[in-house]
Amino acid sequence: MIKASPKPQDEIFEAVREYRSILNLGCGGCVSVCLAGGQKEVQALNREINHRFKLENLSSRMDNYTVERQCNARYFEGLDDRVAGYDCLLSMACGAGVQLLAERFPELPVFPGVNTVSIGIDREIGVYEEKCRACGECVLGYTGGVCPVTRCAKSLFNGPCGGTYQGKCEVNRETPCAWVDIYNRLKAQDRLHHIYKVRPPMLWQNQIQRTTVQPAYAHRYKK
Amino acid sequence: MKVNTSEIVALLNAEKPKMKLWLKVCAHCSLCAESCFLYTVKDRDPRYMPSYKVIHSIGTLYRKKRRISHQDLETIGDIVWNRCVLCTRCYCPFGIDIPAMITLGRKICRTQNIYRRYDEK
Repeated sequence: MIKASPKPQDEIFEAVREYRSILNLGCGGCVSVCLAGGQKEVQALNREINHRFKLENLSSRMDNYTVERQCNARYFEGLDDRVAGYDCLLSMACGAGVQLLAERFPELPVFPGVNTVSIGIDREIGVYEEKCRACGECVLGYTGGVCPVTRCAKSLFNGPCGGTYQGKCEVNRETPCAWVDIYNRLKAQDRLHHIYKVRPPMLWQNQIQRTTVQPAYAHRYKK
Repeated sequence: MKVNTSEIVALLNAEKPKMKLWLKVCAHCSLCAESCFLYTVKDRDPRYMPSYKVIHSIGTLYRKKRRISHQDLETIGDIVWNRCVLCTRCYCPFGIDIPAMITLGRKICRTQNIYRRYDEK
């Protein structure tokens, strides 16, 4: 799932302090799971920001509301009435949610309340690890389920660089070398032949905005 | 724990025409069941059937209205969060918008501070 971390409170406060009436919108999706922008976090942030408004003798007020998902416009139903009267919106969703909200309410400034960090896994409550960079050319099948794009500092596709040393990365000696892990895992599975084959250069499709249409639905959207 | 029934009733009334219609239209045909992946992975447990989920959440809310208790809302919260992920893939031959009904259930629960906690094991 998408992982995010809350923006520093000072940054949020500076972004919204010039507005009198602010609506903070939480998201019930990924950011709830990673404890960054769900109902609980939204309510906690509101208490803090409203307290700061009071301390600075500002008449501003921040209200909150949580929708089930900000990456799907169907969950914005009913928001029109709620949003009316607010000067700006603060979105606690990931970057995708913030953009859909801004697209839906183009007349209002929309500020992000979290920094979207990665596609990752849950290690513990509150501990998340990046696992995927959404490169669009998954090679995990050949690399023993270890992602060279995410794990290798140089995102190398055909083996380690000269900086690997005793299983660690030259960028940081605490960081395991992804390619050593790939080698060890494939060796244990007797599948080393997968990395003897030279892979063609990656197209880096994630450098441009992509739209995904599942093959079974493609006929519906044919132009 | 105190329940703000006026807030709940206002939300129920705002969506009453379509929600009541959908509850009435449901023929209990169970065709929606197979479209729910949770129903299939939970060994076809009938409690995971989309129709069961809406009848025992939104149906209960409209039936009890002001008589709804915190315990009822906890039960509804368990249905709308733990037995549905809002993947929106459920299918109803009569065109009932099941995800919209579950969404209303969640919206009502949220007003009473009942929502899924991800910081608890």
